[in-house]
Amino acid sequence: MQQLAVSASGLVKRFGDRRAVDGVGIAVPKGLIYGVLGPNGAGKTTTLRMLLGIIEPDEGERTLLGSRFPRDRSDQVGYLPEERGLYPNMKCREAIAFMGALRGLPWATGRKRAGELLESAGLGHAADDKIRKLSKGMAQLVQLLGSVVHEPELLVLDEPFSGLDPVNQERLELLIRGQRDRGATILFSTHVMAHAERLCERISVIAGGKVRFEGTVDEARALLPLRARYTPHHDADAIGAMLPDDAVREGGSWRFTMPDGGIEALLVRLIDAGHGISGLSIERPGLHDAFVRIVGAEALADQPETIA
Amino acid sequence: MMPRFLRQALTIARRDLTATVMTPTFLLFLLSPLLMIGFGIIGGLSGQAAGAAGEARQVLVAIVPVDQHEDLRAADRELRSVFSRDSARPRLQLEAPQGDAARQARALFDSDAIEAAAVLYGPLDHPMVLRRAGAEAEGRYLAALATQTLRAAHAPDVRSTARFEIIAVQAPTVSGRGQAAYFSTFAIFLVTLMLSGQAVGAMAEERSNKVIEILAAAVPLESVFFGKLLGAFGSALLFVAFWGTLIANLPKLLPAGMGSGLSDLSVAVGPIFPLLLIGYFVMAYLLQSAVFLGIGALASTQREIQMLSLPITIFQFAMFGMASYAAGNPESWVAMAAEIMPFSSPMAMAARAANAPELWPHALAFAWQALWVAITLTIAARLFRRGVLKSGSPKRGKKAVA
Repeated sequence: MQQLAVSASGLVKRFGDRRAVDGVGIAVPKGLIYGVLGPNGAGKTTTLRMLLGIIEPDEGERTLLGSRFPRDRSDQVGYLPEERGLYPNMKCREAIAFMGALRGLPWATGRKRAGELLESAGLGHAADDKIRKLSKGMAQLVQLLGSVVHEPELLVLDEPFSGLDPVNQERLELLIRGQRDRGATILFSTHVMAHAERLCERISVIAGGKVRFEGTVDEARALLPLRARYTPHHDADAIGAMLPDDAVREGGSWRFTMPDGGIEALLVRLIDAGHGISGLSIERPGLHDAFVRIVGAEALADQPETIA
Repeated sequence: MMPRFLRQALTIARRDLTATVMTPTFLLFLLSPLLMIGFGIIGGLSGQAAGAAGEARQVLVAIVPVDQHEDLRAADRELRSVFSRDSARPRLQLEAPQGDAARQARALFDSDAIEAAAVLYGPLDHPMVLRRAGAEAEGRYLAALATQTLRAAHAPDVRSTARFEIIAVQAPTVSGRGQAAYFSTFAIFLVTLMLSGQAVGAMAEERSNKVIEILAAAVPLESVFFGKLLGAFGSALLFVAFWGTLIANLPKLLPAGMGSGLSDLSVAVGPIFPLLLIGYFVMAYLLQSAVFLGIGALASTQREIQMLSLPITIFQFAMFGMASYAAGNPESWVAMAAEIMPFSSPMAMAARAANAPELWPHALAFAWQALWVAITLTIAARLFRRGVLKSGSPKRGKKAVA
């Protein structure tokens, strides 16, 4: 059996009458980048907080780095909360060292590593600036560095990309890969599919407090059939009748779902009819579409209060 | 139609008023004067008691032959009728001369059994009056008593001429102890009153800048709370060290004589007293701050925190009221209660250190108070976890078995 960094089953958390998390299970293999995807209010943050032992689940079991008491392993964990927070009057270097010290890293080591980390993140010039002087994105990077300064075995990031510009998002992706290469397991939540698609080796999709999908990104994309985009050489209305039922005309092109038997027979017919082929692409739907399909169809239907 | 400006202002005022009134904190705020009246009575009584504690123990002594005792007593009754309170002058104690009356009189000032404010001896028409520094009126009263006795017994024109001498007293006195006890209580109260309220806002700061999530994820809440407590204590300690140094050096700066009143304050436990006093200040601070920290952590807005400051001050006054009553009445059940009750215990025990020489109760008290600091913090952390993080506490025992 593959070693798991984090596992949980049947996690339930009620806030008043609402079941924010309703029987979530998760299994994160060691050394992987694992994404928890879900729409806003799906229960991602609550799930992460339960996994980390910040809050206790009402029901269910969880194991974190081999311990059933997540707090016992907190020194091996790094965490970037969804709501970013740093002491505004602290200097960057100190703030990072402080976060390391909270996880048992000696202050002196923390300060030294903070300098190196800031340097490599392109923030070396700000090491002795106070947090309040930084832009929001920079402060967020500082906090992220603070969550890895003690070189944790497990790094949990809650919506790490939100609020970052594309350059900093790129830096963050590099940093996450760097941590994985160091041997850490990374568990992060997001509702931005592009990052998940690029980074994650496995994903869970949570919606309405329940797990809707678990697997690799490719498996998720495979939930939807391939899509074809065909541009005839000589366009004509008659083409519509030859294509599958869901064909849609977009400008001079047609978009339709790949037929079950493959596209070859269709192409032969189109060429025989004299329409010709001036363009053809067959593509896997993105994670975005898969996500909308997984979440949209099921969760939004039986979770009317999340829309309201 | 109401002018637009007024309507807008009233809308805002209404929201603010609702936000203030519709909280449980407001109830506490509203009712706190009731508590204050209640405890104010106790405090007033105990203040009087502490003052009276010194006076009540004092006596006036007349060393005169036994056959004059009845005359003196009659004159004393008559003279006392002019005072509104019977205790305006210390009560009169009559003794028969035994051998050297002068030595007998002086010995009275060294006695531990009574505390003589002034002593009269010798013939009534030329008596000698010994008195303590500060007991001027008491000395004159004895002289007047002698005159009155002579007039009553002999003739209206007889006059007694007394000589006075001031006696310097070295030994600790019972009333000096009472004052030291009250002083200790008051000092601890004042310092904690000024400082421990700061802890109220400590967690609110964490919550407003969102650092609490980082702290809560990294370390147990109990540690967070205790860390906050210690952090606040650190600043309090700085405050105390600064002012303590100033005050300790004050007698050196004052003109000679002005500081002599301070040396009248004497304590039962001896030289270890300053250490005990510091120790009890630490415990008083930690105990009260722990409560405030816990309460403050539950408050979700600055408004609520502001409203909490009054009940907090009143709570402190209440504890002080009990402890100061204990200082004035060391043997009473209130004193016992104040010593046992965790939040007044440091102040009451500091008073006890001034009043009673045994040391073992202090060891016990420190352990007891430390235990309560721990209990308070644990409760505070649990409440925070439940109320703010919306989580139960880790059910370690149950799970370990399962």
